[in-house]
Parts: sequence; C-alpha cells; structure tokens
Amino acid sequence: MIQLFDVSKLYPPDHHALIDINLEIAQGEFVFVIGPSGAGKTTLLRLLYRAEDPTAGEVIVNGRNVGRLPVRGVAALRREIGLVFQDFKLLPTMTAIDNVALAAEVVGRSARESRRLARSLLGELGLAGKSGAKPAELSGGEQQRVALARALVNDPVMVLADEPTGSLDSEAAEQTMRLLGAINERGTTVVIASHGAARIGRLSARTVLLDGGRLLEVAPHVQEAAL
Amino acid sequence: MALALFVFGGFLIIQENLYRMAAGWGSGMQLFAYLDGGLAAAEVEPLLGRVAAYPEVEKARFVSQKEAWESFRKSLGKQSGVIEGLSADALPASFEIALKPTARDPASVAGVARRLRAERGVVQVDYPEEWTEKLSLLLISIEAAKWIFGGVLLIAALFIVGNAAKLAIAARREEIEVMQLVGAPPGAIHLPFIVEGLVQGLAGAVLSLLLLWALLALASAELSYTLGLFSIQQIRFLRPEICAWLLILGCSIGAAGSFFALRRQL
Repeated sequence: MIQLFDVSKLYPPDHHALIDINLEIAQGEFVFVIGPSGAGKTTLLRLLYRAEDPTAGEVIVNGRNVGRLPVRGVAALRREIGLVFQDFKLLPTMTAIDNVALAAEVVGRSARESRRLARSLLGELGLAGKSGAKPAELSGGEQQRVALARALVNDPVMVLADEPTGSLDSEAAEQTMRLLGAINERGTTVVIASHGAARIGRLSARTVLLDGGRLLEVAPHVQEAAL
Repeated sequence: MALALFVFGGFLIIQENLYRMAAGWGSGMQLFAYLDGGLAAAEVEPLLGRVAAYPEVEKARFVSQKEAWESFRKSLGKQSGVIEGLSADALPASFEIALKPTARDPASVAGVARRLRAERGVVQVDYPEEWTEKLSLLLISIEAAKWIFGGVLLIAALFIVGNAAKLAIAARREEIEVMQLVGAPPGAIHLPFIVEGLVQGLAGAVLSLLLLWALLALASAELSYTLGLFSIQQIRFLRPEICAWLLILGCSIGAAGSFFALRRQL
C-alpha cells in the first residue's frame, strides 16, 4: 500500500526534514507517525499525497511511484486518498453539505448525487442537523467531522490525517479518533501524524517514531496505543 | 483590452476604407501602353493576346493611330482647328487596358505597369502612378502602424489580463488549494479562470467595437468634409466578418492571458 525507500527531503539551504526513511504500511493498517515538532511528520504525509517531492528515494502509494506522477496522475492519486488537517481546510463561504459535496463533484458525480452522498455521510457522523451551516457556525469538533465526511465521500483506500485533533478539546478529539478508528475498521488504511499516539478504542495501531527527520523506531502493533 | 482593440480596430477601419477608395479609383482607371511606331502590324495581335492573358487584365483593346487621332480631335471639339495640318500618324498606337476589380489595388497596378514596360514593342506606359504609389505607401504605413501600436497594446492587454487572473487566483487561493487536495482534475480548476478571461476579452472587444462605431458615427461628417473624398455614406464601419475576428481576438487574448497566469501560479 505505502512504501518508502531511502527517502530524504532537504529544504534548501540545509534543513533536512527527512533522512533515509524506509517504511512500509500495509493495506488496512492504522499507523501513528509520532514525534516532536519539526520531526518531519507533516513532510512525510505531504510526500504521500505529492504535496512535496522527495529529494532522494522513492515513494510508492498503491503501486504508483508518486514522485513520477504527472499532474493528472497526482489528481487521480488524491481522489483515492482522504485528507484531514488540523485546520480542517473547509471553504468558509460554503455550507457543510456543499464542502462535502464539492469533493464528490470533482470526481465526476452529478451535483444531485454528490449532495445525496454528502447528506448521508454527515448524518452518519452526527451532523444531520448541521448540513446547512457554514464552518464559522460550527464548533471545532463539528468542523473536523465535516472534514472527515469530505475525506470519506469518495470511499478512499486510505485516510491521511495531519494533527487531526490538534485544535480540538479533549472530548472532540476523542470523538474524532473514535471515528478514524471506525473508518479503519471498514478496511481503510489510516495514517495519522501526531505528537503522540491517542486512544483509538479497540483497534490495534502501530507507531512510527520520527525525530530530527530520522525514523527512530517502528513499534509493533499494540492494542490501544496510549498517549 | 478595450483600448488595445479600439486602436487596432481604428486602424482596420482606416485601412478598409482606403482599400475601398483605391478599388473605387481603380474601377475608373485604365492603363495605356503606347506602342513603338516601328512595330509591324503582324506583331500587334500576338502582343495584344499576351497582354490580355495577364491574370490581372479584364480587357485589353488596341487603339490604332487613326483611332487615337480621331479621338483626340473629337476631344478638342471646336478647338480641333489647332491640329489642322498635322499628320494623322502623329499619335502613337496604344493598348487601353482595364484591370479586374481584384487587381485594382496600387501594388497590382504597379506590377502590371512594370510587366508592360518590359514587353518588346511597348515604349511607354501611363497610369495615375503618383496617386496609386502614394496611396500604396499610405496603406503600407497604416498596416505597419496597426501592428506596431495595435500589436504593442494587444501584448500589453495580454499582461493586464494575466495580472487580473493572478489577482483572481490569489483571491481564490484557498478554494484552489482545497480543490487540489480533493483531487480535482487540473482542467476543472483552470476552467473557471479561463472562462473569466474569455468573458473579459469578449466584453473588451464588444466595448471597443461600440466605441469605434459611436466615434465613427460622430466623426463621419467631419471626416468627409475634411477629406473631401468620401460622402458620409461612403465611410463604412468594419465588415461583419472583421468584427467577428475582433471579437474572437478579444476572447483569445483574454483566455490566453488567464492560461499563462495559471501556468505561472499553479
């Protein structure tokens, strides 16, 4: 599913964000990429959806060498990946349902079908009554659930989440992690970049520890990885 | 954009009307090729055949010395007594040559005259050379000015549209980023900006045509008085196909400006 071979990322002039990373993540895994600020967690995730190119090495996602994809190939790759961010990245001028439907429309679904899917997903995530609300009218936890619905609307094979609970209170953070756990239970690979591994319920998770751009440790699967 | 197309269109109007004027002059104009007095009668017929076969020539007619003399005498009317005593062969035989309507522009007329002068048996060719050459020079100058002023302004318009697109991209940066993150195809992201540029270009072109039309309507009377060459009705606006080309040019510049801005920005 995800393979990194001797991957390095250098930001000129001399900031080594990642150094010789070798990592494999199998289909259906739940992985925490943890480490302190500046460890290279976000950079690693950005390489997976080709927001960055590696300076050296190869990044393989779903059998495709991500670094060699043409622009259209990158768009196709991202349609197979659900992305979740700390700052949600919702469009402030659009309602919750429109934010979710937008992602469905870009893959070619009709506006009607996209809205039907979006409404259904928002309902599943407990936001049935908020579909007409704009992001500013929603709490942080609700906004993150809208972002999750958007990430899931095209039935992705993997979800990449960069500090998804970073700006949430503990209750909303726990709920978000539970939802990510539930997504993983359906067979979707989930990779989360975070300061520490959170409770994800009854699922097993693996932790990948980064520090100073180096991969220090890959912990085996554990039941209920703790903070 | 509107200004650039206004200048470009303005030159086109001048050019179109001058071409029409040149063609108008040409319709009433004939070339006269005067023949060598020593040319044998048997040589006249083949020479006339050759001249009549020029692709630009509509009609070529042989005017004998006698016919020329008669014509001259008639043109003098009551004053014809002044040529009494002169020989009827004082005037040379000639060809009267009328050109096809498509070949009445100054360049074609000059070209036909050049070829006639090179024919053996032709000693002199007369046509309103000075005027056609001046007109030809004027048309060349207008053609050059159209591309220099109009072209420079059109290139400037391309950059202006590009900058407008850059601002539009900056204003919608967040939306573009989200579209890219959810895997929107590049075409779906680019299309709204291209359409925006295209509409801007079209609006600019329509505005320039309206301005030109209004200006021409206001100034035509003044122009006809000053030039003394046209009646008011004779100063014409651009032909519909030229208007269509200007609209297409506006759309193309608008779309191209947005396209290049997108390539730089995204």
